[in-house]
Amino acid sequence: MRSHKVIEIRNLTLSTYIIKMEKKDFTFKTGQYITLGFSGSIDRREYSIYSSEQDNFLEVLIKEVEDGLVSKKLKRCKPGDYLDVDGPFGHFSLKEDEISKKKFLFIATGTGISPIHSFIATHPNMDYQLLHGVRMKEEAYERESYQNNNYILCTSREKSGDFHGRVTEYLKENPVPSDTVCYLCGNCHMIYEAYDILEKQGINLGPIHTEVYF
Amino acid sequence: MKKVAFKTLGCRLNQYETDAIASHFQNNGFKLVPFDKEADVYVINSCTVTHQSDHKSRNFINQANRKNPDSVLVVTGCMANNAKTELEGRDEINYVVENDQKSSVYSLVEAHYNGEIFHPSKMNSDLFAYGSTDKGFHTRSMVKIQDGCDNFCTFCIIPSVRGRAVSRPIQDILNNVKSVVANGAKEVVLTGVNIGRYEYEHYRFDDIVEQILDLNGDFRLRISSIEPDGFGDKFLGLLNHPKMTPHLHLCLQSGSDSILLQMRRMYNIKRFKEIVNKVRSIRPDFNITTDIIIGFPNESDQDFESTCNIIKELQFGHVHAFKYSIRKGTRAERMTAQVDERIKTLRSETLRKVAEDVKLQYRNQFIGKEQIVLVEKTDGENAKGYGEHYLPVEFKGYELKKNHFYKVKITDINKDIDPVLIGEQVK
Ligand SMILES: Cc1cc2nc3c(=O)[nH]c(=O)nc-3n(C[C@H](O)[C@H](O)[C@H](O)COP(=O)(O)OP(=O)(O)OC[C@H]3O[C@@H](n4cnc5c(N)ncnc54)[C@H](O)[C@@H]3O)c2cc1C
Repeated sequence: MRSHKVIEIRNLTLSTYIIKMEKKDFTFKTGQYITLGFSGSIDRREYSIYSSEQDNFLEVLIKEVEDGLVSKKLKRCKPGDYLDVDGPFGHFSLKEDEISKKKFLFIATGTGISPIHSFIATHPNMDYQLLHGVRMKEEAYERESYQNNNYILCTSREKSGDFHGRVTEYLKENPVPSDTVCYLCGNCHMIYEAYDILEKQGINLGPIHTEVYF
Repeated sequence: MKKVAFKTLGCRLNQYETDAIASHFQNNGFKLVPFDKEADVYVINSCTVTHQSDHKSRNFINQANRKNPDSVLVVTGCMANNAKTELEGRDEINYVVENDQKSSVYSLVEAHYNGEIFHPSKMNSDLFAYGSTDKGFHTRSMVKIQDGCDNFCTFCIIPSVRGRAVSRPIQDILNNVKSVVANGAKEVVLTGVNIGRYEYEHYRFDDIVEQILDLNGDFRLRISSIEPDGFGDKFLGLLNHPKMTPHLHLCLQSGSDSILLQMRRMYNIKRFKEIVNKVRSIRPDFNITTDIIIGFPNESDQDFESTCNIIKELQFGHVHAFKYSIRKGTRAERMTAQVDERIKTLRSETLRKVAEDVKLQYRNQFIGKEQIVLVEKTDGENAKGYGEHYLPVEFKGYELKKNHFYKVKITDINKDIDPVLIGEQVK
């Protein structure tokens, strides 16, 4: 476990923020996650890495969960604080031989967009479409990072997104060509439902294609 | 002659590690005695995978202390990692040895008798420093190829007590296998925490298996418990090798995709069935055994029913089922929809019946067939052992010897909870 100094906190909404830390000699494969906690604390949680493989810093995108322990504490961290980073962990990763050849569909809910951001920042020339499921428009975290035509915001609580409804409803209305490589990240119920829809549309999903947060 | 007694809880890896430590003691003049007898040294190799295992470990600590309050009492294994402070606070325990230092238990006790008291944390922390298990308790010789796990399933405490995945150098493994075979081992069992994730330099799990199968000698290879995500077609292709035994313990955990996702398992039901079907297409009577967790948070009646159905569909040879219990520090601990203990008990009972029926059906198909049995116990005319499918067999024969293979024709089955195949030696 290594101690990393916090460089900056970027608040994106009232509850969602990005912690930027020094990278030191940490290396990872885009899509992987770390566990994070205050130095010396036993309370640690998993967070996908938001930054790219080539960035010289490490970032995570976190939403403060109501009644949550660690996401609340981390929100109060300040530049200069030290956080313990362990990892990288996980198998949610792109296959080298597919990156420049295939068409990708990324489906994320909430902060589940974090590893997708890292995928795209690491491989900016990928051919992708990104479905981001949130409740309200303000949760389109750093939308400017994605090419406009490739990012589809699905808002379930208001009509302000590109699509009004859940990502699963979008998928039913807009079938996916069966040669698409799909990656799903975020809420378990979304993943479960989307998985079913995609399978029926002829998509073959392996274990590395899903990352369940909660 | 000093006496040493062991108690092992939990997994096969623990069993292997106990065997190796026991050999170390025996090679240095200690006499091995049963755990309920008076001994000078008691070693409890504990487990912490469920509440029940913690409870059992505590009972054995008390039992050892009652038998001989002056003994050297060593507690090692996963509970020693997970409840270190509690255990170190108990006066009757002399040493609490974490998994990393487990291979040094003998050295610690030896030093103790020489008047040197070391803190276990100062001892060698090589995860693969165990000697051979030639004088252990079994005719099967276990070979440790890997330790630790990085999967972080949401219910599981193992990554925090066994640590990150580490693989043993391939050459050490091959040398270890050669040496146990040269010492007479007839069955080699690969063991570790998550052996399918073996990775050393460019060698993967299937490379290890292939190279072991290619070694000379009269032995057969058994793969112990393996995760369904850890192998590909190359491994499946090795399953019909004459030295490979037709048995895999493939951990399923639940028959419901929704629960598997919440457990953060690395496969779904479709993939699991594909694997089983591929394996059974190689050998239709292949013995596939499994682990099931009953009453994981959010498990509905429907999820549970799916689990029972898949047990029937896939005809598991044995189901190791246990009730979910909260482990501190895991993600599942923080899940809100915990299942009521009474429901878990009812489901356990239902599942037990289903699994027993399926097991009997599975074993019945061996009546009339032959098994190659490795004898573990015999009086010369009657013998007990395991066939290549890892099914218990009792048979009659002539001048039977321990640790020898015999071809046995199965004629009957005794319908106990663990039904034993009955047979006769084929001359
Ligand atoms: C592999 C992995 C990667 C993850 N990556 C990220 C990430 O990049 N960004 C991020 O914000 N979170 C991520 N999470 C979730 C994160 O680890 C924590 O669970 C989350 O921050 C809540 O922690 P807490 O201590 O505040 O709440 P806890 O005290 O742990 O939990 C409180 C309750 O909130 C529920 N809960 C947990 N997460 C959420 C959520 N996101 N939304 C709503 N309810 C929730 C829990 O089930 C629990 O009932 C990831 C989880 C995993 C397994």
